[in-house]
Amino acid sequence: MENIFVNISGSIRELIGVLGLPPLFNEAVMITVKVTGILLFIVLNALWLVYMERKVAGYIQCRYGPNRVGPKGLLQTAADISKLISKEIIIPSGADKILFLLAPVLIFTPPLMVFMVVPFGQNMAAVDLNIGVFYFLAVASLSTVIFWIAGWASNNKYSLLGGMRVVAQMISYELPMVLAVLGVVMITGTLNMSDIVRAQENLWFIFAQPVAFLIYFIAGVAECNRVPFDLTEGESEIVAGPFTEYSGMGFALFFLAEYTNVMLVSFMAATLFLGGWLAPFGLTIIPGWAWMLIKVYIMIFLFMWLRWTYPRVRVDQLMGFGWKVLVPLSLANIFITGVAIKVLDKMGW
Amino acid sequence: MFGSGLLKGLAITWKEMLTPKVTIQYPDEIYSLPDRFHGRFKLDKDACISCGMCVRACPNNVIKMETETVARKKRLLKYVMDIKYCLFCGFCVESCPKNALGYEKDFELAQYKLDKVPLVLVDEEPLPPEEKERLEAEAAQKIAAAKAKKEASGGKDKGGE
Repeated sequence: MENIFVNISGSIRELIGVLGLPPLFNEAVMITVKVTGILLFIVLNALWLVYMERKVAGYIQCRYGPNRVGPKGLLQTAADISKLISKEIIIPSGADKILFLLAPVLIFTPPLMVFMVVPFGQNMAAVDLNIGVFYFLAVASLSTVIFWIAGWASNNKYSLLGGMRVVAQMISYELPMVLAVLGVVMITGTLNMSDIVRAQENLWFIFAQPVAFLIYFIAGVAECNRVPFDLTEGESEIVAGPFTEYSGMGFALFFLAEYTNVMLVSFMAATLFLGGWLAPFGLTIIPGWAWMLIKVYIMIFLFMWLRWTYPRVRVDQLMGFGWKVLVPLSLANIFITGVAIKVLDKMGW
Repeated sequence: MFGSGLLKGLAITWKEMLTPKVTIQYPDEIYSLPDRFHGRFKLDKDACISCGMCVRACPNNVIKMETETVARKKRLLKYVMDIKYCLFCGFCVESCPKNALGYEKDFELAQYKLDKVPLVLVDEEPLPPEEKERLEAEAAQKIAAAKAKKEASGGKDKGGE
């Protein structure tokens, strides 16, 4: 069970190897298989997460949530998606057509690209990049540009306001996020995600770096534009922010990207702070990739729990909290981590 | 402690998530309605004396009533409530002197077609002329018999005087 996916990948590789084709072709096939697998994983998870979100919301608000379409309402999201696909995509007359249509196409790309380096289990990263963390932070922040494209191209004041908020918020919270992750990188001395997980064999970094985890988590919520930092959407203030003019599948893609981002931030949290695929309490009966998923889902549930508990913050509160609290706190965390590493080093740990 | 309010909020929503849900799954289970619920109307045809009190009591002219008189008795032909204008105030039920009009515990009055909306409580054909004549003749006979009897007994009394 532990190596089921690694074995499947290995047997596919062998199967193509038998055909005696050039190695470049083999690599291309392997990459296609991996991308398809990741895409399938993302889409199925997004479908499930929309359902889970609505169920969690329902239960927190003392109701049942969707329970009519299919057994226990499980087909609700599928029904919604098929409705969205069948809807017309309306392009506002004043919109920049090319950019307007490009934004929903591109929005899903950065999260998908980042999933390349995520270690789903032991030896289960699609690409074991030695600068994985850096790659994650660099590519994930590309979404900002695409949100801005969507907001600008819609030619709508709410979209523009939402776009501006996205840029302001994402740039402000990128900084504490990076600085928080830096604490972990300082301890491990590597940017490779798999190596970071392996370094947590004795102690998960959530215990070594609790402040960094907290900062990372808060910044992660803000990066995903989720409550209580959902100023970009802010339906009671600016309709739906950058998504205001989007209908049908364009809107669905933004939605999909949001849930993919949530998954991504949860995967990163599980990798950097919760020991990735490592089993707690020596419970190795459950395979590593399952542990990873369990941890990710705990994180995702936390996201949802926060969403249905807290009200939205104001713009000035958001900015003030980001720059005046989180950034100094993460800098202090780096300083203390650095001092502690040096001191422990001198003490001969 | 700073931030304790946030934890408190989380605790509240967590507790709320685990409490049993009170939602009634409507088409599967139906909320038990109170005794005095104003639902679909029902009419006891035999108790109704076609007095028309309900028609006059209705503030929206919802009730349409058609009668025919056979042998000096009113007979109910049609009793239709155009339920789309009904506000379920219950004045008609209150005004009924014979308690013929009442409620059922049924609120599912929605229809797919507009012409199905009116609530038809009584819809009967008028009696055929022969039947009407027969009944009228019978009644006249009875009256005549009663009159004769009265006269006969009255004559006796007179005679005795």
